[in-house]
Amino acid sequence: MLEVEGVSVAFGGVRAVDNVSLKVGEGRIVGLIGTNGAGKTTLFNVVSGFIRADKGRIAFQGQDITRLTPPRIAALGLVRTFQTPIGFPRMTVTENLLVFSRREAEQRRRLFSSGTVEPDVARRAYAAMDAFGLSAKRDVWLQDLSAPELKMMEFARAMMADAKIMLLDEPAAGVNPAVLDTLAGTISSLQKAGMTFLVVDHNLKFISTICSNIYAMADGAVIAHGTPKDVLANQHVIDLYIGRKSAEPVSNEGRGVPEHA
Amino acid sequence: MEGLILFAVSLLSLGAIYTILCLALNLEAGTGPLWDLGIVSFFGVGAYAYTLVTAPPAAAYQGYILGLGLPMWMGLVAAGLAGAIVAWLIGLPTLRLKREYFLITTLAFAEAIRQIYVNEEWLTNGVAGIYGIAQPFKQAVASANYGYLLLAIFLVGLTVVALLVHRLTASAFGRTLKALRENEPLAMTAGIDPRRYSMTVFVIAGLFSGIAGAFYIWYATLIVPTLFTSDITFFIWTAVIIGGLGSMRGALLGGFIFILLHDLLRFVQVSADAAVALTSLRTAFIGVVLVLILRFRPNGLFPEKPVKNLLPDMLKEASNA
Repeated sequence: MLEVEGVSVAFGGVRAVDNVSLKVGEGRIVGLIGTNGAGKTTLFNVVSGFIRADKGRIAFQGQDITRLTPPRIAALGLVRTFQTPIGFPRMTVTENLLVFSRREAEQRRRLFSSGTVEPDVARRAYAAMDAFGLSAKRDVWLQDLSAPELKMMEFARAMMADAKIMLLDEPAAGVNPAVLDTLAGTISSLQKAGMTFLVVDHNLKFISTICSNIYAMADGAVIAHGTPKDVLANQHVIDLYIGRKSAEPVSNEGRGVPEHA
Repeated sequence: MEGLILFAVSLLSLGAIYTILCLALNLEAGTGPLWDLGIVSFFGVGAYAYTLVTAPPAAAYQGYILGLGLPMWMGLVAAGLAGAIVAWLIGLPTLRLKREYFLITTLAFAEAIRQIYVNEEWLTNGVAGIYGIAQPFKQAVASANYGYLLLAIFLVGLTVVALLVHRLTASAFGRTLKALRENEPLAMTAGIDPRRYSMTVFVIAGLFSGIAGAFYIWYATLIVPTLFTSDITFFIWTAVIIGGLGSMRGALLGGFIFILLHDLLRFVQVSADAAVALTSLRTAFIGVVLVLILRFRPNGLFPEKPVKNLLPDMLKEASNA
């Protein structure tokens, strides 16, 4: 469904993403792990069109999206989240959802279209709110929601947008363990309903619970991929997270790429 | 007493014109994402466009272009169009910029445009200006009562603009503007092209401000460059902030409240010397009010509130069942 082939991005002399290739099959939950600065979020920005790739090709459902703008890519059904899930703070839950509806994308072009929401759009909005426990908050500004509710908004938005794939940027960040289980449950039930996911996170336990497949990145490059079990057993990945048994304790290279990567 | 009432009517007329500007600014900067410090550009260009289109040809001692002597309604159309076109032209380069830089650049454009009124004498008759511009329906009522008629005209204009702005704000287009104001990257993931919709709202603000410019000429009956200094921009921003940025009621009342605050001191009966001192203190007085508002009611007197009950209700019952 999503194919990234040999994508590279450099900021000046820094190769933030270095010849990365990865595949996300339809209906799968694929994880992307790596330390801070490994290039995961940059890769997200490239896939969603916010940063242009210097090299390589990105295809979504067989269509080349490498040079498309973020609005165009989103319109194809690729929805990403951001690390801070603030949404549109001074818009209500309802408004936040309506902005993402496909119907609204047509209506906003006509300046004087009526403000009344059409029944089928309203039905979708209610369904999205019901599914994620937001019905009671429909007329509340997002800035007045709790952190777990804001997380749920991310999924409600994707449902409203009729997303085919969601790119989740650190969904587990700042979430307490109880809510984390709910989050994992939500992601799997959406998967069962046909959604595909690419998930970036630091919480390895969370990632390995929900993902069928994991890519590990370091210094912009993919250093391992496979099932969670294989990747987490991979020596490079262990080195990356725990540090290498090293004869030179002064060197901080354990953080970086193994020489032979 | 009679004089005071006439003065109050004149003040309300000016308030109505300012309020149209407040609505335009609130649409682009309160509902939308554009921190525009150049709204006076469209106001001034609209006023000049109206004048040049409706005025008789320039006399020998004057220098200005056109002077087509067209009917007033065509002048109004020209004023709106001129405001919109100038907004589009300024928008082309400036809408590529982030907020703070957009703000600085629009201010610079406003000043550049004012310098054009001053220096291009062949275009605008320069600082000498154009005087004795005709007013609408002047013959319809006794001249002593004309102020009331003019106020009524302005209030009708204001009502029309307010209804249009209200409709725009409540529509899908309005939600798009708010989304851009709140979180531009996220709005892009909703399929919103920031430049396209920013340009649209900028041009609409230019259109309404241009029409307000024509009204201002009916009010003032003359046009000189000093009418269009950036003071106007800051007055309108102050009015919108006092009312409540992003709130329709705030913009509607903010304009009138501002004019009242600004000219209230004129009602004080004092000696001529004290009057001069008070006039100089007006802006300081407004400044103090603005500071107090920002301190005690930072979201304005009538803050923006969440939109309630946007979705039809019967469906809610159906989905709960």
